[in-house]
Amino acid sequence: MNLDPISILSQTALLLALAPLITGCIRNWKARLQNRRGPRVWQPYFDLLKFLRKDMVISEHASWVFSAAPYVVFITALLVGLMVPMVTTQAPLSLFGGVLAVVGLLALGRFFLALGGLDPGSAFGGMGSSREMTIAAIAEPALMLALFTVAITVGSTDFSYIVTAAQQPGWNLFNPTHLMAFAALFVVLLAETGRVPIDNPATHLELTMIHEAMLLEYSGRYLALMEWGASIKQLVLMAILVNIFLPVGLATDGSAAMLGLGLLIFLGKILLLSAAVVLVETVNAKLRLFRVPDLLSAAFVLAAMALLSTFLFK
Amino acid sequence: MNLLPDVAKIMAEMQERFGDRLDAVRAERPNEVYFDAKMDLVAGFCADLYKNWDARLAGVFADDVCESEKVFHLYYLFALDAVHAFFILRVPVPAEKPEFTSLANAVPAVSWQEREIQDLFGVKLIGHPNPRRCALHDDWPDVHPLRKDFDLRTELPPFTGERHKLREVEGEGVFQVPVGPVHAGIIEPGHFRFSVAGEPVLYLQIRLFYTHKGTEKLFENLPVTHGVRLAESISGDSSFAHATAFCHALERVAGIEVPVRARVLRSVCLELERLYNHIGDIGAIATDVAFAVANMHAMRLKESVLRVNEQLTGNRLLRGMACPGGVRFDWDGAQIKALENLVAGLGPEFDSLIGLIEASSSTRDRLEGTGILTPEIARDLGVVGIAGRASGFNHDLRRDFPHAAYDRVNVQVPVYQAGDVEHRMQVRVDEVRESLALIRRFVADLPAGPLRVDLGELPAGRTALGYVEGWRGEIFHWIRTAPGNRLARCKVKDPSLQNWPALSHAILGNIIPDFPVVNKSFNLSYSGTDR
Repeated sequence: MNLDPISILSQTALLLALAPLITGCIRNWKARLQNRRGPRVWQPYFDLLKFLRKDMVISEHASWVFSAAPYVVFITALLVGLMVPMVTTQAPLSLFGGVLAVVGLLALGRFFLALGGLDPGSAFGGMGSSREMTIAAIAEPALMLALFTVAITVGSTDFSYIVTAAQQPGWNLFNPTHLMAFAALFVVLLAETGRVPIDNPATHLELTMIHEAMLLEYSGRYLALMEWGASIKQLVLMAILVNIFLPVGLATDGSAAMLGLGLLIFLGKILLLSAAVVLVETVNAKLRLFRVPDLLSAAFVLAAMALLSTFLFK
Repeated sequence: MNLLPDVAKIMAEMQERFGDRLDAVRAERPNEVYFDAKMDLVAGFCADLYKNWDARLAGVFADDVCESEKVFHLYYLFALDAVHAFFILRVPVPAEKPEFTSLANAVPAVSWQEREIQDLFGVKLIGHPNPRRCALHDDWPDVHPLRKDFDLRTELPPFTGERHKLREVEGEGVFQVPVGPVHAGIIEPGHFRFSVAGEPVLYLQIRLFYTHKGTEKLFENLPVTHGVRLAESISGDSSFAHATAFCHALERVAGIEVPVRARVLRSVCLELERLYNHIGDIGAIATDVAFAVANMHAMRLKESVLRVNEQLTGNRLLRGMACPGGVRFDWDGAQIKALENLVAGLGPEFDSLIGLIEASSSTRDRLEGTGILTPEIARDLGVVGIAGRASGFNHDLRRDFPHAAYDRVNVQVPVYQAGDVEHRMQVRVDEVRESLALIRRFVADLPAGPLRVDLGELPAGRTALGYVEGWRGEIFHWIRTAPGNRLARCKVKDPSLQNWPALSHAILGNIIPDFPVVNKSFNLSYSGTDR
């Protein structure tokens, strides 16, 4: 395990800076597809700035868990981000077996997010937490299986290794194994980022919320950390999707030209994936809550089939 | 009096059946007949009308005449839709022993109205299954604001009283989810207490009347012409319908006929009000299942209606248009043209919006079979209007009691039995198309003539029922006049008051995240209920 402070710092900066922009782009594009002008793509930055400046209102029933959750959510999202190659083929961090650590850290973040929702004892937060955990119980295995599928084809659970291996000739996105794993991960992405048809990030109806319900009691700095953390998590999941399955254009060395080109291509891929998310969100209504497990089970089955097919197509 | 032929026959039969137990029978208007009787006749009278004439109890209200007659009057308003008449049974309740027997066990539809009488008049309910406070909350002191001895300007000292004990389902794994009275979004206050086992709802208690404004009392303290403006503010989305129902009551007291041009303009405005509300609701139902694209299109169409409203009446919500004896503004050629253009353009645009929703399988999946209100429960609760017509309620005042200019057209009333969100939306879709057709017919044959007639001085001590089919359902304004062009009583009945309890039944067995869309498919008014 090598720790390069420059790459850690630069990838952290990239995560912090880019994540709100992706959220802003998705919102803006959704609005365009609805014939609205929509908020500027920079709006999430202003929102974060506003939240950071504001005082916090904290329920008197809240315990330390409530205050700890935003930090845990934020830091786990950042840590996961450091373990995923984005612009270069080498991720700055590689801990405890890559894929496993990523899934574990995401689960830790979610665990605290759910605790934070439960802690103040409001009805909506509890509902959000229980729904989040129900969904996670199926989304997480699907995420793991899909990632393992890729790990098995290249023979390592280390993301950097996977990405490097995927750069070699012979890697084919249109191989059925990869297609199925990609589809499964895409559904997981929708679930993990609270998007239609699983959740509705734009609703004001507390009774229907999942992710937003857990944030209802948060304000000020904590809310900023929660929102920022959620944006980073979204960016990271997207990065996993695009860099594993479409591993073109990642910088293989540290030259400025390579890095610049790598950054541009990375941005392009992420925006392309965002556009796909926007399309899905626009043409679909939200699923009835009890239908969500059906969709996620489909993702799980896809991932399981992908895993099986790695052996079949060997 | 030119009584409708069937009405005369039924009146005669009622007189024969109840004989001298009926103290008096008088037909005030061709379709409005008053019966006087004692309290003990109410149940039998009601049963007879229900069984033999397919009537329904459309309202119960009280009036304080203690000063002159030492009694409260209870009024039971029966709608005999088939013969197009209202029968109103008047029952005295002695002031020294203010008690009345509840009908709620037999006719659950009047449960809230009876409790409201108990709160506002202090007439005690006997035999009601749930005689608790309703219109005035539990912490209120023992005051009865609609009594005549309660001055409008009374200032109550600060009071604290008992808090309402909500009914909750108990048991392992059953949780309470309190929602409101303050909600997200700009809507009015109401408290919803869900008892849930996980996501499925076991019980929902709805608690309203947080915004009781004493509107009926205010009417008694205003000159009638100012009353029109007050009627407009009873429920903002039904401004014109309420104002027109109020004017209708005044005109019936005065015994004047509104000029035909004014009646047509009224009908057009009522249809415009229906259009913008229905289209907005269809969009809102789509939003609640996160199909935002359809909502944005609906908002665009609604906006086009609102702009024409403003062009026609100077107000987007049609306020200021209604006035007793007719309407206030006439429309010139350019305005008629704008209306015609709206109707011509809206038809295809609306069809394409509905096409978009129908083509979205994920949206339809959310609406089908959600929030079912069975025709049996709907009938028991007396659910009216769009919610009723989705559950087998085959009544519409426009067709059964033609007011405004509805006698000039043939109104098609959509009726479904399924009673789910999808069909409440379908009723709206059908009614939008019907409204467009009606406006087209009205405009094509717009009669010339005066815009209004003067009501003159209203005769004192007279009663009359004004009625209008608003977009949400039937609206009644019943008035009793006082000397000096004032009112001694104005009873306002908004369809929301009738329909709210049905929501508790429609949601049973559904899951909590489906509540918003079920609620939106009813789209009831808090203000119209609370008054």
